[in-house]
Amino acid sequence: MSTTTTTSPTGSRPLPGLLPEHKKRITPKRPHDYLCWAAAIAVVAGLVYTTVTNENYQWPVVFSYFTTRSILDGLLLTLVLTVVSMGLGTLLGLLLAIMRMSHQPPISGLAGLYITFFRGTPVLVQLIFWFNIAALYPNVSLGIPFTDISTPVDVNALMTPLTAAIVGLTLNEAAYMAEIIRGGFASVSRGQYEAADSLGMSGFTRLRHVIIPQTMPAIIPATGNQVIGMLKGTSLVSVLGVAELLNSAQSIYARTYQTIPLLIVASLWYLIMTLALSVPQSMIERRFSRSTRRQAAVATATKESLL
Amino acid sequence: MKADGTIVARKLCKSFGSHQVLREIDLTVSAGEISCIIGPSGSGKSTLLRCVNGLETVDRGVLRVNGEDFGYVEKDNAYHAVRPQRLTEQRARIGMVFQQFNLFPNMTAESNVMSGPVLVKKTDRRTARERAQELLAQVGLSGCGHKYPAQLSGGQQQRVAIARALAMDPSIMLFDEPTSALDPELVGEVLGVMRDLAHNGMTMLLVTHEMGFARDVADEVLFMDDGIAVERGDAREVLANPKEKRTQEFLERVL
Repeated sequence: MSTTTTTSPTGSRPLPGLLPEHKKRITPKRPHDYLCWAAAIAVVAGLVYTTVTNENYQWPVVFSYFTTRSILDGLLLTLVLTVVSMGLGTLLGLLLAIMRMSHQPPISGLAGLYITFFRGTPVLVQLIFWFNIAALYPNVSLGIPFTDISTPVDVNALMTPLTAAIVGLTLNEAAYMAEIIRGGFASVSRGQYEAADSLGMSGFTRLRHVIIPQTMPAIIPATGNQVIGMLKGTSLVSVLGVAELLNSAQSIYARTYQTIPLLIVASLWYLIMTLALSVPQSMIERRFSRSTRRQAAVATATKESLL
Repeated sequence: MKADGTIVARKLCKSFGSHQVLREIDLTVSAGEISCIIGPSGSGKSTLLRCVNGLETVDRGVLRVNGEDFGYVEKDNAYHAVRPQRLTEQRARIGMVFQQFNLFPNMTAESNVMSGPVLVKKTDRRTARERAQELLAQVGLSGCGHKYPAQLSGGQQQRVAIARALAMDPSIMLFDEPTSALDPELVGEVLGVMRDLAHNGMTMLLVTHEMGFARDVADEVLFMDDGIAVERGDAREVLANPKEKRTQEFLERVL
């Protein structure tokens, strides 16, 4: 009998080669593991079967309209709306966040009121509201107080569907961004302010070089989520007749009655864009996830920060 | 601009809401003197220290730092708060070291040390960097300048924090329990740096639980309890033969 031969625990049969300490540990698959796979495969197979065999999907129509001029124009407008509303919303959100953190109760109260109102009412309602604002204020006069210089503005002409869309999306987004930015500031410890103060830094220097770089790990991933949300949210402005992606699809199926295929066209484009955005988003999230990779996050957050 | 490295407090009072934290505290630290504030937690030691560089405002009493009224100017029958800009000037001459280090995590050790000179004093970068390297060497951390705080041990972080405060060429250094957040084996390296500073004639006011350090290095000790300056005097004298009963009880517990 060779020295490397051992017997199995039951002692029934000698096994060649492996010592007990080298043996793999195996967790056997149980019936419900297979059952889960079977169920998932059945569901997917069913879905694939019906999409392929159900003629009503009209896949040829989907493909023929997928890159139609008006759809691509709508797609472009969707992207423009996202970028513009997100950009303006972030700027206004920053202003609101700073107001919200003010030590002057009237200022922070005002910002609080804004945030409560715009987060507490549906965006769709807000959009329709801004489109119809002329009913409230038909004529506004822009001018310098206490002088004769003023220009009357016809609100009805000013508030085109596109303006209403940008105003509505921006004002709504600002409320959410304000809360995100405020959360970022809240994540910076009191000691950082004190350390900056003890070095004799002015309020602005402290904010610019010490505090803001440290808010980024909390703000940037959340902002990425907002961008993706905004991209889909722009579909709401279709109700105002802005020719963005969904509205472009709608105006085609209003003529052709091919409702489902065109909704599929729009959905596929939304899906492609959100997927495209979610790649950088998840990269950013991994960079900035503070608990697991704190050092790397801090290091990159600040490559351009100070010195 | 006067910066004679002295601290004088007379009948200093401070309340947080209805809770009186400092009750008529008197304190004198002469130039080059090392003064330790000791006492149980919640006795107001840290608050007193934080008043000296304006992290807390004083309610009543006289506070003169570097030979001038701190944070306020005396006019007619009142003290008027100075403009923020003036306050930052006064603060820049006082170095502060915190219990939790409070290094800027977004900057390397070297940038932390450079931050004061570059951002506040507008020193040019090259000069500031050379000075930062000198200071890091002084606290025994040459070669660590490129590291971020998260890559340093607690003791190393605290030594960077000391270098950062020194970079402003302060005439007074304040230490708020500088070794309390450190693992026991790291306390020595920080105390060593502080000891060197003391020997070089820096005016130092520190809140500490390191009685050994107070005995070896301090000129004066102030024992505080419940917002009152219970006993003040020569460091070795107070620690060896405390006159007040409360001081005796406290020292018995900590020694």
